[in-house]
Amino acid sequence: MSFLYPLGLLGLIGIPILILVYIIKSKYTEQTVASTYLWTLSERFLKRKRRPSPLAGIISLILQILAVTLISMAIAHPIITVPDAAKEYCFILDGSGSMRMEAGIPTEEEGAAPVTRFEAAKAAIRSRVEDTVDGSLFTLVFAGDTTGIICERTSDKEQILLLLEELTPAYNTLNPADAIGISQGYFNENSGLKTILFTDSDYPSAENIEVVNMAEAIENYSLSSVSYTHLGDTLTVSGKVTSFESDRALTLLMYLDGAETPAAAETVTVKAGEPSIFSLETDTRAFSSIRVVIEESDALPLDNEYTIHNVKSENSYNTLLVSERPFFLEAMLRSQLGASIDVVTPEEYEGQTGYGLYVFDTVVPMDMTLPTDGTVWLVNVTGSIEGAGYTVQGEVTLGRAELLTLSTSSSSATRALLEGADGKNIAVTRYVKCGFYRNFTTLFSYKGSPVVFAGVTEFGNREVVMAFDLHDSNLPLLADFTTLTGNLLAFSFPDMVESTTYLCGETATVNIIPNCESVRVESPSGEISYLKVDGASDSFRITEAGSYRVSITVSGSVREFFLWSAMTEEECDPTVTPAPIALRGEATDGGFDGQFDPIWVIFIALAVVFLADWMVYCYEKYQLR
Amino acid sequence: MAKFEITEELLSQIENLQMLLKNNVAGMFGGNHKSRTHGSSCEFADYRDYVDGDDTTKLDWNAYARFDKLYLKLFLDERQMHTRIYIDASRSMEYGDPKKAERALLYAATVAYLSVCEMDKVSVYVIKDKTVHEIICGMVGKESFLSSIGKLEEIIFDGDSFMSEAIVPENVGYGDGLSVIISDFLTDNDYESAIDHLIGKKRDVFCLQILSMEELSPQARGKVHFFDSENASLFYRKDIDREIAKAYKRALEYSTSRIRDYCNARGADYLLVSAEDKPQDVLFEKLVNMGVFQ
Repeated sequence: MSFLYPLGLLGLIGIPILILVYIIKSKYTEQTVASTYLWTLSERFLKRKRRPSPLAGIISLILQILAVTLISMAIAHPIITVPDAAKEYCFILDGSGSMRMEAGIPTEEEGAAPVTRFEAAKAAIRSRVEDTVDGSLFTLVFAGDTTGIICERTSDKEQILLLLEELTPAYNTLNPADAIGISQGYFNENSGLKTILFTDSDYPSAENIEVVNMAEAIENYSLSSVSYTHLGDTLTVSGKVTSFESDRALTLLMYLDGAETPAAAETVTVKAGEPSIFSLETDTRAFSSIRVVIEESDALPLDNEYTIHNVKSENSYNTLLVSERPFFLEAMLRSQLGASIDVVTPEEYEGQTGYGLYVFDTVVPMDMTLPTDGTVWLVNVTGSIEGAGYTVQGEVTLGRAELLTLSTSSSSATRALLEGADGKNIAVTRYVKCGFYRNFTTLFSYKGSPVVFAGVTEFGNREVVMAFDLHDSNLPLLADFTTLTGNLLAFSFPDMVESTTYLCGETATVNIIPNCESVRVESPSGEISYLKVDGASDSFRITEAGSYRVSITVSGSVREFFLWSAMTEEECDPTVTPAPIALRGEATDGGFDGQFDPIWVIFIALAVVFLADWMVYCYEKYQLR
Repeated sequence: MAKFEITEELLSQIENLQMLLKNNVAGMFGGNHKSRTHGSSCEFADYRDYVDGDDTTKLDWNAYARFDKLYLKLFLDERQMHTRIYIDASRSMEYGDPKKAERALLYAATVAYLSVCEMDKVSVYVIKDKTVHEIICGMVGKESFLSSIGKLEEIIFDGDSFMSEAIVPENVGYGDGLSVIISDFLTDNDYESAIDHLIGKKRDVFCLQILSMEELSPQARGKVHFFDSENASLFYRKDIDREIAKAYKRALEYSTSRIRDYCNARGADYLLVSAEDKPQDVLFEKLVNMGVFQ
């Protein structure tokens, strides 16, 4: 036994002082009274003659000596060393998505949130730590989104419990290899290490590892492999639905564009553990998002929902078409773009803003100045416009239809813009002669004069110029019209987000377009991060299940994209038996000296002594017999 | 020496009281107390036939007119009493807060004043050991009271007292008034003989027992060694607990009932007071209720 504060034992000096006081105090108090007659007379009235007990006076002294001793001991804080009682522990906590599932443990408080497997695992670790002998060493490894050591070889129980309390489960799949690797390192140093894995995966018997399975047989359903096809006006959504515990009839509901009433519903009879294919159909021309939900509730709600955001819709732009004769352009844009198109005549044009694409057909923009907040198409614009990057040198009328010359440039930009186009039969009868004062990618020219070219305005927005009237050309009648305008639209609106559905653990990429000021990513739990905007693209890791909101600010206007992150099938399916795990090497007892802190025993004993002393005092003072 | 304080207010209140005597008194003429013998007071007592030699001024002429026979009107005689006050001057009377001796002197003074107000003669004695010492002798009248009462403060309370041995041999008078014994009666000595002797002398006897609060309700607990104030050879050494405290209560009850029963059996008055009791309460309530005063 050792003492944390040995000076506290100086309090034992109080014992001889106490004995001295007792000896002095135990003498009879001498007093002269008027008469002892009545006292002497009272002897006759005593019901029984009592012999003075030799212990009567000393009990109080014994109790007080005990109290002084215990107080001194409490101040000195003794620590009892218990040989070979301490052990080294390595707790591995599974922080994968499936640990969010309800543990099936009833909560004490009515209306309280159900206890998850993760919380149950934390409680189990807490219990193990509290039950160990002081002096034991603890290492806590968390296998969540990433695997890491939370605390290493600490004997401070409060510290490990505090750090444990702060842990929250991730959404990804458990990869125990790294955690086992960490534990192996400690095992190599101390073969007496006890490794305990708290997980909901049903690991087969593991050598040198104790697996605590937090999984309970509990209802769980999941959606997986959800996809859609959009043919004509018919939208078909299909996927797999699984019930892992029992045969169930599950109702699937499909919601479009965030509506509160389902657009389609289907009840599927599912056999336990066998994925069943479902298919939901509805009539719609366009949509921005599809949400499929299993109506029945289960232990893990995260995998009962799947949302698909329409990439085309996410990447589409509102368009303003200013034209006296918009027929060709309107038809082309409507067929190519999913978003709304506002068509106005030059008289109705009052310098409207807030569009992603401005198309000026035979009309000069307001005040001869380009819009600053969107891509600009200038079709047959006969006047020089400030900031456009080129000047108009006048209209040229040809005697007959003349073919335009296709660019022979091998640059990647030219190839991308002309991809799939023949370009050899486009003829015009009149064109506008232009001269560059900034770099443009010329697609078609006539006798060296650029006729169709693309570039960037001085405001950083993309710019497409067709220096002829479509009514003076055969282009609208050619197949190249669709191909060429498709390429030009792709150039105008590069896809910022290429995919909207991911699995937890995957990486999402965001394309950075010119004038992009910021890219803000908000996770389902509300965690916010910003991507770099100085490169062509940046990516971020999907770590949570649910909807991610990506807000991209371009030239002051904000565009929002939604990405859906689903849990992996392994995490949705608790019945999967993972590969066995083990620590290499032969385990030994490996115990070392533990410590027992008896301070609470001392305090209890002190309380008992004080109580007893108080009772003796009352007995003597108030004669409670 | 014990000092006592008696105020004018108390004296004026005492003047409203009157001493009630049970026995017919045989004192000297001129007092305020009615004698069973017929005398010259204004209070009518009875008629009797006229015989020769009777005082003709006391003939009832109205009765003669009605009955044609001479009747003599008889009036109660008023006699002067001799109040004798015996104060226990043992050392035990010096204890208590206030001291029992102070209260004893105060009550003695008030009884004396009441007596002189009734034109009675008052003598005050102290009992020391086996003798009675006369402190005030035959005090009559308020002036005499005022000049003599200060002598009470000269009494020294010390030693023991043996009441019977002291009182019985003394001249205590015969049928001429009230004898007051003021003591704590905390003794095993004989006091009954003294009471019997006084009763036998046809005197009204009033025993006033004064005890301190510590004697009435002792708070002492634990190991104590009590020495007797009057006798150094007497002591009491005990670890006082609740049982002993209860036994003390019984002893106190026995002791007080012993004297009370004895007094009651012989027609004497007895009153137990605490030294802490207010004198007004004792004089104007307890004694009046008992019928000692009116």
